Amino acid sequence: MENIKVEITGTEKSAAVENSAPEQTSRRDFMKLMGASLGAAGIMSMVPMGTRASAWAGGSDAPELKEVKVGFIPLTDCASVVIASVMKFDEKYGIKIIPSKEASWAAVRDKMVNGELHAAHVLYGLVYGVHLGIGGQKKDMSVLMTLNNNGQAITLSNQLRDKGVTTGAALKKLVDTEKRDYTFAQTFPTGTHAMWLYYWLASNGINPLSDVKTITVPPPQMVANMRVGNMDGFCVGEPWNNRAIYDKIGFTTATTQDIWKDHPEKVLGCTAEFAQRYPNTARALIMAVLEASKFIDEMSNRRKVAEIIADKSYVNCPVDVIDQRLEGKYEDGLGKKWNDPNYMKFCNDGAVNFPYLSDGMWFLTQHKRWGLLKTDPDYLGVAKQINRIDLYKQAASQVKVPVPKDAMRSSKLIDGKVWDGKDPKGYAASFKVRA
Amino acid sequence: MKRILIIDDVRDRAVWLKASLELAEFDVVGVLAWEQVDERSIQAALADVIIVDANAPGRDTLEQISLMSSTLEKPVVVLGGQKDQHSIQEAMRAGVSAYVAHTIQGEDLSGIIQVAAARFSEHKRLRDELKEAKDQLAERKLVDRAKGILMTDHGYNEADAYKRMRSMAMSKGKRMAEIAEALILAKELSA
Repeated sequence: MENIKVEITGTEKSAAVENSAPEQTSRRDFMKLMGASLGAAGIMSMVPMGTRASAWAGGSDAPELKEVKVGFIPLTDCASVVIASVMKFDEKYGIKIIPSKEASWAAVRDKMVNGELHAAHVLYGLVYGVHLGIGGQKKDMSVLMTLNNNGQAITLSNQLRDKGVTTGAALKKLVDTEKRDYTFAQTFPTGTHAMWLYYWLASNGINPLSDVKTITVPPPQMVANMRVGNMDGFCVGEPWNNRAIYDKIGFTTATTQDIWKDHPEKVLGCTAEFAQRYPNTARALIMAVLEASKFIDEMSNRRKVAEIIADKSYVNCPVDVIDQRLEGKYEDGLGKKWNDPNYMKFCNDGAVNFPYLSDGMWFLTQHKRWGLLKTDPDYLGVAKQINRIDLYKQAASQVKVPVPKDAMRSSKLIDGKVWDGKDPKGYAASFKVRA
Repeated sequence: MKRILIIDDVRDRAVWLKASLELAEFDVVGVLAWEQVDERSIQAALADVIIVDANAPGRDTLEQISLMSSTLEKPVVVLGGQKDQHSIQEAMRAGVSAYVAHTIQGEDLSGIIQVAAARFSEHKRLRDELKEAKDQLAERKLVDRAKGILMTDHGYNEADAYKRMRSMAMSKGKRMAEIAEALILAKELSA
């Protein structure tokens, strides 16, 4: 678990120090890799700390904490947290992000709840689940910002392909005609992948709770589990769907942007207590990650980003496997290739990062739909408690990221249904396939 | 008597924890490896408390099973009641987590958690010590080999060979083992 820290001091001298230790090698490679783009961060780190802090706000707004421990799971969409740290966007705002690689979402949750982590790259629905005490301890939570849209997918096994099943409709036919246990995996019971998988299966007329068996497997173990024949399909974030193709064990039947274009995915989550006690730190964290998000959204930077996060201490996956889909270059593993305009977005001029109330509420409607919530919660009230739009707006205005006027947005999903946040109770009850 | 299930891939730790819990008169109904964990094996154990390594990747698998079981009216929750907050934090620091049924008494739970936390900490300490001892032994072997090279190839006696290496280590700011490794490598290259 001990990560190799890549340090940049902003001066060429330190990078040229001769030493054969591995961390030094990676530092040198990194310097080479980052080349010119390092300029800004380098210059900023030469400005004294005090000046930097006051460059963005008054002295009393200085972050209460200097070091912020942020958990993440090895996935492409952990990039903005990692880049904020590696490229020292954090220092610009007077904090030091310490990325902490975690083995499971359960560990991310527990460590946030007990204070071992200050914040985390975390599944949208998980934060809401903890806030309402679904399946465990109840703890007031906060969403500081949305980290990304899109970039997850549903993979089916090559065994299914060999039986002629490449689409949801064909899968439905097989499940109906050939009786056996069909097993599908997602990454956490209240999380996003569970909801995308269930939504997709249901839109094809398959009840995820009664027609098939659903299990939970951590993202990095997904491909290995399919290889040993433990499952027929899974929903997970990249790079693991692309990895399944690369390893020739599965293919992509649907991307999550097919299910919901520009859907909310991971958020920067923390406990409500953290956001209340350390608002300046939370704001600084949002700003640093927002800057990283802007950086990543420049297509010309994406190869570099892939090279950084491919490292063993982050995603631990071949660069190309990460880079292809990060750059929107998709192949489905069945011979089809396309440039997806709805690839994984990290900023999209702020449209990604604003913590829309309707986004948070959507997960509650699905939790209700699948019986994880027994009764209708106060959808809007809960979303208002959790999504810290106030903190986000303050941070976004500092880093010149546009903020939308409305806290709700309207989207049409794969089954043709429109979600606009206006009638959550009615929407949750409107699905034919449900628990 | 509370029924305890241990899930752990570290076999010796699991066996030790089982023995310790039994010594404290708790009922350990099973020890599973993570690859054995599925809905059937968890249901079959009929456990009141499940003790796991907090950092095991398999934990999310258990989350799903716990949640689905609760819809089957077999309540299993992640531990974290107010009363036990202290022992929980201690346990998590030691790297142990527990999944507990609603019905269990606070005192029993604290006892179980305390035993588990103590065993996990102890196991980590022993493992660290063992690793340190192995590292030291490996380093000593390297230094001995390098000393041998200096003696046979350069005619140093043992004490001088050692001194030569030590002064080199100090002037270069490196560890003895690194100097020894370099010497051995140089010898292999010239052979």
